[in-house]
Amino acid sequence: MSEHISNVTFHDRVDDALRNQILHTALDRATGRFQSLRANALAELQDADVVRDRARLIRAHTLSKLDTYLEQFVANVEKAGGHVHFARDANALNEIVNEIARTRNVRGVVKGKSMISEETHLNHALEAEHIRVVETDLGEYIVQLAGETPSHIVAPAIHKTKEEIGELFHQKINIPYTDDPALMTAAARHVLRREFLDADMGISGVNFGVAETGSICLVENEGNGRLTTTAPRIHVALMGIERLVPNLDDLSVMLQVLARSSTGQKITVYTNLITGPRQDDEGDGPDELHVILLDNGRSKVLATEVAEILYCIRCGACLNACPVYREIGGHAYGSVYTGPVGAVLTPALEGIAPWSDLPHASSLCGACRQVCPVRIDIPRMLLVERDWATRAGKLQWWLRLGLRMYSFTVTRPTLFKLATTAGRWGSRLVGASSGGWIRSLPPPLNGWTQSRDFPAFAQKSFSEQFEASRKK
Amino acid sequence: MRDDKTLVLSQIRESLRTAHLPAARALVPPRAAIAQGDRAQLIENFRRELEPLGGSSYLARNDEQAIAVVLQILGQGDGREVLTWADEDIPVRGLGAALSLNNYARLDVNLPADAEGRKRKLAELASAAAGITGAMAGFADTASVALGTSATRSRLASLLPPTHIAILRTSDLFPDMACFFAANPHVTRDASNLVFVTGPSRTADIELTLQRGVHGPKFVHVVLVD
Ligand code: SF4
Repeated sequence: MSEHISNVTFHDRVDDALRNQILHTALDRATGRFQSLRANALAELQDADVVRDRARLIRAHTLSKLDTYLEQFVANVEKAGGHVHFARDANALNEIVNEIARTRNVRGVVKGKSMISEETHLNHALEAEHIRVVETDLGEYIVQLAGETPSHIVAPAIHKTKEEIGELFHQKINIPYTDDPALMTAAARHVLRREFLDADMGISGVNFGVAETGSICLVENEGNGRLTTTAPRIHVALMGIERLVPNLDDLSVMLQVLARSSTGQKITVYTNLITGPRQDDEGDGPDELHVILLDNGRSKVLATEVAEILYCIRCGACLNACPVYREIGGHAYGSVYTGPVGAVLTPALEGIAPWSDLPHASSLCGACRQVCPVRIDIPRMLLVERDWATRAGKLQWWLRLGLRMYSFTVTRPTLFKLATTAGRWGSRLVGASSGGWIRSLPPPLNGWTQSRDFPAFAQKSFSEQFEASRKK
Repeated sequence: MRDDKTLVLSQIRESLRTAHLPAARALVPPRAAIAQGDRAQLIENFRRELEPLGGSSYLARNDEQAIAVVLQILGQGDGREVLTWADEDIPVRGLGAALSLNNYARLDVNLPADAEGRKRKLAELASAAAGITGAMAGFADTASVALGTSATRSRLASLLPPTHIAILRTSDLFPDMACFFAANPHVTRDASNLVFVTGPSRTADIELTLQRGVHGPKFVHVVLVD
């Protein structure tokens, strides 16, 4: 894809998103709600900072010995009777799933939420083989019925009003029109229950693989994950190669921060730990378990300056905290992974050339780093990728100049402090007249703001916060 | 695919030679698990946590009380078919007898090996009114119950029916998940499926309005037996 086309479509998508009032209101409500729930949940957690440090350490440590933990995990899944497959890329993964389906005469598939399947566009690949695929998470189901894509990692159908969903259900599943969420939920339960019981294969994501036990952990609230992994005779679990923790104790640490950061719950309704298929004497559960480990660029990312993005546990907190995401929503990014994490991860996995805009879809305000349960330094990596884009010659000269100066100041602490302090003063002034959004900045940063509004700088800069926390 | 495994692992090793992973260092062994908390406190915490989630809890002093509670819950619905774990997996004596005395039919949850037979059987089981299970453990900090599978402990009993009744001995309460894992390090070896259930199934996918019972049970009752 040429740079020109990708730039135009990105800008169009952003423009569309900014004009869409319904999306805007819904996003604002959702992200606002999730943010305050998250803050409360973490405030209740004793020693939240200690737990987050531990969680970060666990992820960092696991990745530093990823080959060892992967081999241990594979051996233990197999010991429990599961099959393990490695997929080098998206096509390889889709082919493995299709092969399992072909050889086992699978006609119907039910799916739990899986970002990996979005990454590989698995549904299309299965449908090309005439296999029926039904999403079972309520939000994903709504989005699938509408022929759309999820707009939010935790609330996929947040861009739709209840009236729109009522009309959709009326058209697609033939129920009398209602906009009562309780009735619509009951209708979905009814329709999807039949799909569960009739499916030959269940496809799920994986939140964590546990190396020491060969278990996969899957967290969810609706019960669709449990049904997907219990009712069909074949369970296929999709995971990125980086999603491991060493042992059960480490898992319990990760689980302490995951739901709290994601939905503000202490723990999700269902925390599933699946170790192999049903044992010989067990009466229910799948006959076969296949765990597919997807690389798709991850093993190479490990060697780059943005390896830290692989610590991510996909909680979605950085999306809710991001002023840009809150304004434009997930669709505008045009990528599977959206928000701050997506802006770093997508170019890392797929190369900077088609995605040179993404690292710029941020004001570097630092809110993402503040909320991340594993303290991923997203702003640092956005700068790294902006640099990639510059080197690849993907930017207009004025933007390049602005970035050079910015990178220059950021890498020099004193200048950076001065610049952000100045920026905050500026943003406070402009913020007063434009609802917290910076419409223009003085040179040399004004090149930047010509095409996008920038959210106000955080009232305290990172370096200030960092200093303050060190003094404590 | 064998090739892909070799390829991916060797690329990882190659990358790790030069990788810079912030904060990476050796993991010191986990903190020692906290000793069992005070029993009364654990019970109180568990019940307090469950309530706002929309689950119900009961404290029974003995087996008779527990059975009475179960029958009372069942009486609120109108179905007569139930999915249950085997008697020896439910920590109250006499429940099986009480169920049959009160005309409740316990459905056989063993799924046949053939694909079509399996689907038919699942469709039959889906109409059961309630599921009754024991629980290996409860976590007081989150009001979760731990359900592990075996030949006589099915997944479906806590999953298909609209009502799930879990019977938990108060001596099996742990302060939290970490303590449970510390006390049961091999739990995943024995149970191919271990699930921590925390309140009723829920969703907020339509305009962020909370709905209970979307795919799993809408009503979750935990009977604590002291
Ligand atoms: S980057 Fe951090 S905050 Fe964002 S989704 Fe990943 S873990 Fe959550």
